[in-house]
Amino acid sequence: MINSITARGISKSYAEQAALHKIDFAVQPSEIFGFIGADGAGKTTLFKILTTLLKTDTGTAEVCGYDLEQDFLAIRRIIGYMPGSFSLYGDLTVEENLKFFAQVFDSTLESNFELIRDIYILLEPFKKRRATDLSGGMKQKLALCCALIHRPQALFLDEPTTGVDPVSRQEFWQNLKAVSHQGITTLVSTPYMDEALQCDRVALIQSGKILQIDTPANIISSFPKALIILKTSGNKNLLINSLKEIPLAESVFSFGETIHITCEPADKPELISKIKQNQQNISFVDNPQPDIEDCFLYYMQRENG
Amino acid sequence: MKHFKIFVWKEFLHIWRDKKTLMIIILLPIIEVLLFGFVLTSEINNVSLGIKDLDNSLWSKNLILKFHNSEYFQVRMLHSAPEVENALQSNSIKAVLEIKPDAERKMRAGESGIIQLLLDASDPNIARTIEVYVNNIMASSLPRAQPAQSYLSIIPLMYYNQELKSVFKSVPGLMAVVLMLICAMMTSVSLAREKETGSMNVLLISPLKPWHIVIGKMIPYMAISIVNILMITALSYFVFGVPIRGSLLLFFFFSILYVISALSFGLLISTIVQTQQIAMMISLAGLMLPTTLLSGLIYPIRNMPGWLQRFSGIFPARWFVEILSHIMLKDSPVSYYLQPAGIILLITLILLVIATKRFKLRYD
Amino acid sequence: MIIKTEKLTRQFGSFTAVDAISFSVSEGEIFGFLGANGAGKTTAMKMLCGLLLPTSGTASVAGFDVYTQSEKIKLNIGYMSQKFSLFTDLTVWENIEFYAGIYKMKPKRIKVHGAKLLQELELEQQKRRLIGTLPLGIRQKLAFSIAIIHEPRVVFLDEPTGGVDPITRRRFWEMIYDASARGITVFVTTHYMDEAEYCDRVSMMVDGSIMGLDSPARLKAQFDSKTMYDVFLKLARKAV
Repeated sequence: MINSITARGISKSYAEQAALHKIDFAVQPSEIFGFIGADGAGKTTLFKILTTLLKTDTGTAEVCGYDLEQDFLAIRRIIGYMPGSFSLYGDLTVEENLKFFAQVFDSTLESNFELIRDIYILLEPFKKRRATDLSGGMKQKLALCCALIHRPQALFLDEPTTGVDPVSRQEFWQNLKAVSHQGITTLVSTPYMDEALQCDRVALIQSGKILQIDTPANIISSFPKALIILKTSGNKNLLINSLKEIPLAESVFSFGETIHITCEPADKPELISKIKQNQQNISFVDNPQPDIEDCFLYYMQRENG
Repeated sequence: MKHFKIFVWKEFLHIWRDKKTLMIIILLPIIEVLLFGFVLTSEINNVSLGIKDLDNSLWSKNLILKFHNSEYFQVRMLHSAPEVENALQSNSIKAVLEIKPDAERKMRAGESGIIQLLLDASDPNIARTIEVYVNNIMASSLPRAQPAQSYLSIIPLMYYNQELKSVFKSVPGLMAVVLMLICAMMTSVSLAREKETGSMNVLLISPLKPWHIVIGKMIPYMAISIVNILMITALSYFVFGVPIRGSLLLFFFFSILYVISALSFGLLISTIVQTQQIAMMISLAGLMLPTTLLSGLIYPIRNMPGWLQRFSGIFPARWFVEILSHIMLKDSPVSYYLQPAGIILLITLILLVIATKRFKLRYD
Repeated sequence: MIIKTEKLTRQFGSFTAVDAISFSVSEGEIFGFLGANGAGKTTAMKMLCGLLLPTSGTASVAGFDVYTQSEKIKLNIGYMSQKFSLFTDLTVWENIEFYAGIYKMKPKRIKVHGAKLLQELELEQQKRRLIGTLPLGIRQKLAFSIAIIHEPRVVFLDEPTGGVDPITRRRFWEMIYDASARGITVFVTTHYMDEAEYCDRVSMMVDGSIMGLDSPARLKAQFDSKTMYDVFLKLARKAV
């Protein structure tokens, strides 16, 4: 299968500070590929490089068969890009923004209407409203429409859901899946760990390095540690602090109402009995399953040594 | 072309939506012209004018009568040189008209310099106005063949402001400053805004060519500038009587050339800066101030030190003021100001080349 | 009650951004203030911080009335947001001096508290570094410490952990717990639903009204949901 996007050894530094370090990955056609990582991990830099806006220090990439260096103008013609901050024109109405981006990209609202129909229907009641007066979720939908309006082969969405509430985020991912079903390769970055599950494959990224690339399910199933999840009816913070004292526990993290403890698989029974000895007011969750955040925390800690 | 059109359309919308800024750039020139005009104009009425008649002909008597009848002057006859000096020094008269001996005969013979006007130029605006009024009154008593000025030799008595600056002369300078402000600042700020909000990145990866973006940003401000030029001209003509003695067509042609040079400055600024705030600061401090000071609007360039005069040459405003003075006030032939026009063109081309080179399609 | 509102309302023209909300927060409590974008959270928070006058209703913060004593409120609260917290072109120490100075702390006290703060964050070596050169995670922790350097009665945190990595996020919450244990009331908004679980009580705002207000456990029971995420979805969906 021909990859839609391939990156080989991309590195980039700003003023001696490494922003990206030897990034390799390959994205298949019509895949939703997610870069999951915190702010400052290098996601935006990577997206600027892949959209040909920023030159690399070393490394190469191909986007839809075009070389990043030699054919950067050709790449610009076939991609859609939605930068991190809301970068539509706030003083223009919804309708005017759409018209502008359609014509600038040699297209019309009508010609690719089926691609954006589902999103556009939600926007239509507000078409006379200025973009700046839209709610966060609506702004984001408008931005997606504008990035899609010329039916790009590859779509780059840099943190489209940052600062957006969970409901709007969920709707956004539904929109995105519909888009990828129409054959558009989608690269998306997000700081929200739970959104990894919405992607076909993800790269966990931290401090300019890719920690892991795989399908979310594979990343979770290859979690190498044993996991213990427990709840407490007492003071959670005190409990976490005392759990950290147990040498067998490699990490102790708060996860919502629960506490996740990792250890070597062989040590798990011993660790459980130690916890039971020392603590009251706790209950163990049966059959604990790690999630993406457990994996991210694990790889992050491994990276930090 | 379709790209370009839609881009220009978007730019007009931006300007139209930002009503406050639009108001400022439309009203600013009006306010400036009125301010300068009223500060610099001094209506004269009942100015005491001394007349020393050494001709004593029928013609000179007739002329004196005309001054008597004018509402602008209060005539006092003077008879000797010490009397003239006294009157001027005691500030009791503002000007002295000396009709030379044999003036009537010399006039008929076509000789010039038959009448001398001694002017107290400590208030240049009043002096200038007196000069104009004297000229007008004299014109009716003189043959039509030559303008009244040629019969008159003017001697400003206090070399306070040699140029006798007035609202006439400040209109070109004012125009230079206002157009520079609007064109350079607005284009640089508007381009910087695209960078700041990140929309520039989307534009860059779009099929828009850089020149679409650049020229597209310039066109709306060019349109506004033309409105401004029309307003300044109309205001100065109708309210302050500033004439355009030369060709109106040439006047607009060179104004637009200057506007393009100002826009190019804005463009260059925008390739240097990343934020609107810095674009604004550079436009104001780096362009506005030198334009105001070095265009001759406030201080005559002639009185500046040599190095500063040469330095002022890099600002198109200086040359533009020169061209406008030729067209508006003197109706000089085009050849008189081809050189300054060429310099503006050269500056514009250099700016555009640098700006295009600096306009980054990709960042490092 | 350190914060108390009664039918607090704010209208912008014909639009009611905050619609008669009533709640109270007790001393030292960690109070989660949740809601969809545009639900009115920011407007409500602005009124409580003394930045915006209510249209009607009453509210008091740290015993001061939001209508008449906003200056006193400002001296008794701390504020930090994800979007803006510290000046990136000033050094760590300059930021500390600046914020402490705003709250009228004496130079001697600034020195003592500042040193203690740096020690706790292990930033003594970075004292003279520009904020802009520090990683985001460290910046956010520092911003929080500075927001409470003057020992305010209440600290308002507006999406303090947005975009922060998962480890730093947890460290950040440990700091919130410490502050709460010292008696500082924490009023926090977040889009991370797991963080809602860390709060003592959570209010869910939908279209300007508070539709749910209780401890996370009781809210989950009330809305028959397994997680706070589900509670949020159920409530916010009702609005659409």
